[in-house]
Formats: sequence, C-alpha cells, structure tokens
Amino acid sequence: MNVELDIGAREDVPTWLVYGTPVFTVLAALAVSSVALVALDVSPVAAYSVMFVETLTSEFGLTETTVKAIPLVLTGLAVYLPLRAGLWNIGAEGQLILGGLAGTWIGLNVSAPGYALLVAMFLGAGVAGAFWAAVPAWLRAKYDINEIITTLLLTFVALNLKNYLIRGPMQGGAGTFPQTEQFSGAATIPSLFGNVHAGLLVALLMVAVAYVLVTQTRLGFEVTFVGSNPEAATQAGISRYKVYILVFVIGGLFAGFAGIGEIAGVQGRFRADFEPGYGFTAIVIALLGRNGALKVLLAGFFFALLIVGGSSMEVALGVPAALTEVIQALVILFLITAEFFKRYSVSLRVDRDPGTSPATRTGSDA
Amino acid sequence: MVGFVAGLLDATVRAATVLMLAGLGEVISERAGVLNLGVEGMMLVGALSGFITTVVTGSYWLGFGVGILLGMALALIHAFLCISLKSNQVISGVMLTLLGTGITTFLGQQWVSESIEGFPQIAVPVLVDLPVLGDALFRSTATDYLAIALVPVVWYFLFRTNLGLETISVGEDPEMADTMGVDVFKMRYLAVIVGGGFAGAAGAHLSLAFSQLWVPGMTAGRGWIAVALVIFAQWRPERILVGAYLFGLLDALQLRSQSLELTLGAGAPLASLLNPVLEFVFHPTIMATYPYLATIAVLAYAVIRTRSDQLAVPSALLEAYVRSAVVPVMDYGNPHETVHRVLRSQ
Repeated sequence: MNVELDIGAREDVPTWLVYGTPVFTVLAALAVSSVALVALDVSPVAAYSVMFVETLTSEFGLTETTVKAIPLVLTGLAVYLPLRAGLWNIGAEGQLILGGLAGTWIGLNVSAPGYALLVAMFLGAGVAGAFWAAVPAWLRAKYDINEIITTLLLTFVALNLKNYLIRGPMQGGAGTFPQTEQFSGAATIPSLFGNVHAGLLVALLMVAVAYVLVTQTRLGFEVTFVGSNPEAATQAGISRYKVYILVFVIGGLFAGFAGIGEIAGVQGRFRADFEPGYGFTAIVIALLGRNGALKVLLAGFFFALLIVGGSSMEVALGVPAALTEVIQALVILFLITAEFFKRYSVSLRVDRDPGTSPATRTGSDA
Repeated sequence: MVGFVAGLLDATVRAATVLMLAGLGEVISERAGVLNLGVEGMMLVGALSGFITTVVTGSYWLGFGVGILLGMALALIHAFLCISLKSNQVISGVMLTLLGTGITTFLGQQWVSESIEGFPQIAVPVLVDLPVLGDALFRSTATDYLAIALVPVVWYFLFRTNLGLETISVGEDPEMADTMGVDVFKMRYLAVIVGGGFAGAAGAHLSLAFSQLWVPGMTAGRGWIAVALVIFAQWRPERILVGAYLFGLLDALQLRSQSLELTLGAGAPLASLLNPVLEFVFHPTIMATYPYLATIAVLAYAVIRTRSDQLAVPSALLEAYVRSAVVPVMDYGNPHETVHRVLRSQ
C-alpha cells in the first residue's frame, strides 16, 4: 500500500472554511482542554457549564465580562492595526503599563475641573503608550530592526520601570504597600451601568475609529497595501516609513487607553503587581480578528468571557484558572493549523497496490 | 569586600547556567532558521516534569532526562507548525510559551509544597581553594559544569562538523542547501528539537539544582532573556558564554546592590547632582532592565554600524522553506565540500 499526501496551493478559500475556522478552532481547543480537566478529576461538562453558561446567564458574569473586554478590545486593536501593515506588536502589554503609569501620574498630580481631568489622563496615557510603541516602530522603519524582538524586550523594560516607580517615587497612600495613592472621585471613570465603567464607550469608539481608518481612509488603504505587498506598495509611491510609524503610534495609543481605563475604571489605584497580561492575550485576539476591527471586538469579548469564566470555575470547582491560558494557547495552535489548510489543499491518495495500473486495479476490486 | 565579591561571583555563575543552557539551544535552532519564542514555556515544562520525576523516583538524573525529553516534545510541536505547516514562527513560539506556562500552572499546583533532594554541589579538589574564584567556579552542581562544557561542544558541532555546517546552511540559504542535497526539513526539525531539549534542560536545572523546588512561573522571564542573549551574542556559542555571565552578573548585582554604597560622599563635589542619578542607575529594579536594553543596543549598533547583511543573524530566520516544484539536485561529490560552497556563496 502506498499512501501519498498531495499538497497544493489553493486558488481561493471556500466560504465555509472562512467562517467556520474561528468556530471550529474554539471548539477544538475546548475539547482538547477537557483532557486537562479529566486529569484533575473534574467533569469537563460541569467545568464548561460554569465557565460559559453561568457566566452568560448571570448579571455578575455579564458585567464582569464587559469590564474585562474593555482593555482586551483596546489592546487587541493595538496589535491588529500594525498587523494590517504586516508588523507584529508583541509589546502591547508594555504600552498598556506605560499608559497606565502616565495616566495615573496625571490623575494624582493634576487638578482640572469636571471631566477635563479624565480627558487629560486618557490623553497622557495615550501619548505614553504611543511613545513606547514609537521606539520599535522607528527602529524598524529606519533601520529595519525586527519589531517583534524590540517590542517584546521593551515590555520587560516597562514592567521593571513600573516596579521601580510604584515601589519608589510614585508610592503613596496609607501604610507601606507597593501602590499609589487612591484616585480622587474626579480621577475615577464614572460608571455607565452597574460595575461597567465608561471606558466601554472609549473602547467602542476606538473600534469605530479603527474600522473607519482601515476601510474608509487613504491611510487605511496604504496600510493594507503595505501589509499585503510591501514591495509593490513602495513601487506605488507609498511611504513605508510613514505607515510603519503611524500604525504603531496609533496602536500604542489604544494600548495606553487600555491601561488607564483599567486603572481609573476598575482598580482605583496603581498597584505594583498590576501585570494583567492583556497585551499577550491581545495577540490571540488580533489573530482571530485580523480581518476587521469588528471581529477584534467580538474576539475581545470572547476572551473576556473565557477569563471571567475561568476564574468563576476556579471558585466553584477549585480548578486552577490557568486553564484559560491553556485554552488560549490551543486556540492559537488550531488557528495556525487551520491557516495551513486555508492556504493549501491537502488530499490523501492511497494506492493499494503500487505497480498495477488503475484499470486492472478497478478490475480486481470488482 | 572579598566576601562580597566572592558571593557576587557565586551568584553570577549560578544565574548564568540557566541562560547558558537555554541560550545554546536557541542558537542551534535560530542558526537553522527557526526562531523559538517558546523557550520560556519549554523551560517551565522541563522544570515541572523534571521535578515530578525526581519526587516520584528519587533520581534527579532521571528527572533531568525527562525534563529534556519534554522540552523536545514541545519543540516538536513548534517544528511541525513552523517547518511543515509553514506557520508564523513568532505566533507559534508565543503560543508555546502560553501553553507551557498554562499547563504547568494548571497541573503543577499540587507539587508546590513537595521537596526533593536535587543535584548536590560537587567541589573540584585543589581548585576550590582558589581565592575569590574558587567557590564560585569549582563548587557547583553537575549541571553547572555541564552547561560550561556544552559551550565548546556546540561551537565545535556548529562550525566543525558536517551536520553543524548543514544546520547553518539551511538557516542561511535553504534553497541553495536543498540544491546541494541537504535535507532542509530534516535539518530544521533536528535543530528545533535539539534546541527544545536544551530549553528543557535549562528548566530542569532550575528546579532540580538551582532552587530545588517547584513554583509556578519560576522561570520568571529567564526564557525571554535567553532569546535576548542570543541576539546579544550575535548567534555565536562562545559569546553566549560571555553574555550569560554578563547577564548573570546583572542578575546577581540586582539582588545585592542594596548592600553596596554606590553613591558619593556628602562632601564630594557634584554629590548633590550626581547622587540621584547614581541611585537611579544602580537601583536594583532599574538594573533589571539592562539585559533588555543592552540587547536592543547591540541589535541597533550591529545594524546601524555595519550593513545589515553582515549582521550575524541567519539570513533565512523567520522564513518558512517552501520547496519549489522543481529542485535540481546537483552532484558535487563530497557533501562536506558542498556545504562549504553554500556557506562561501553568502
């Protein structure tokens, strides 16, 4: 018997594969993760029902999911936009931290009337995030230094800078806890409904901004052009330098918003252990939603659900919430596997009896 | 002061071993053209599996071996995704780090309170009595010695053996290597899997020799530093040795700089101006950023000062190899010679 794999590039991708991929990958990830659940003697059905059904049917679960989705969507956009131009922003976490630090500093040290303080905090956070993203963007645009490595390395620099500032110059409040002073009422993002803070509006607005930017503007066209064919884009007179810097600056801005939104909307103060990891989940979100800003929004909410559901599962069943990390990893794993099947068609050819011609073989089978 | 320096050197050598093992593995993998950002995950898997094995069987060598094997297993996934499925190496690597971190935190909870008898320290007679350096270099665990011994081994392998040169050739110009009869896919698979074994060994060393316990997330970013170290070392194994000690020294200094009086006396000129600067520069948390900043600086310096094609980065790093429909296989006789041709053609 002779088994052969035929792998050929696909001309076009069937529609069912385009829309089915995200759904299949998530289901496959959940199915494989259930092995880990069984290993700890937990029924996967019970675990997943706590994770999804209870989270989606309780008011607490829904508001928590919405609150978590705010930074996830924003950092998701921070990875999504450079990805449109073919660049990887692995450092959204660092941009988020820097943004949170700058916004916190403004919130604690500046006094401004009414909502002006919140606006200033968001602006400061956005600028800090954009600055932190601009460094690797410039190194890439000017000297062709790999942005993946620099954004990643700068994330660790940002985390240490945060530890230095919060345990040092920015430390405040009662006692010697490594944290800043509590925000005043004016520096706290007001609640929209229940526990959901108005940062949700910022996130939704930025999704709209990213959507319009990519689909409706000249810059968006240039970004997509550079992303799909950098050489041709250069030939067409598009400045790669400009595109690279802009996607990263705008992405860093989004990540900065995510940072201050989480601090001023949820935490109320900057604690030294604030390392939410949203910037890493954002890579998965951008990967799932890379076809459009609205898909980033959807993916952001899905991962928020996963994280909130994971912690309720930990409380209810004593299963470590780290399962959500495993699920995230598996979603990526199956997604990039599916990517292969999108690009190539694979068919299995089995010759039962090599050496005999097809005609005689059908004859003998009959 | 001598006591301080000796203690510092000792801590440097300990901190360097993990980076050396993981860094050497990463060099092999990247030399073949495959970036592995999953080191952190592979180290954690190596650390936990090695630890569990040691708790259950009592043999730390067996634990070390199991750690290496599971590091290789995780690397096999990376190899399959990046080489066979031609996936994005960055995404696959980040995924493996997530997977390794998640799965070890998930399954490792119950092993946190266990204790083991790990690798003992072995003193080299006579040499251990050397002043200052003796204790640091010659009273170490077997894995510390192993890491140092592996530096020349990896160097010799990469630059003096056929297999090593073939590894380099598939990382520089896979098409040319393929034309010359080197099996690109096989070489890349091998390099990635061996690299994963090194990462697993680094993790197992961490839990079995360095700290002799298991804590979720105990690698604490060392996997990422190892990735940075490879760039810092310009993809050369002998510079990994230097870089690992340098980064290890920074790590060690970080924990000890409080006990050092690094500021100027109050009466010294410019003291009021310079002391805040010195305090900032030598602050332990700020010092923790130096390995990362140094790596960015080395990367930038190398690219800006020399033309980027002279940078030691393997030319085909991050590029999946797609074999074109017709690859003419030429017969150049001696395969050793052909690999040299590939390298010279750069």
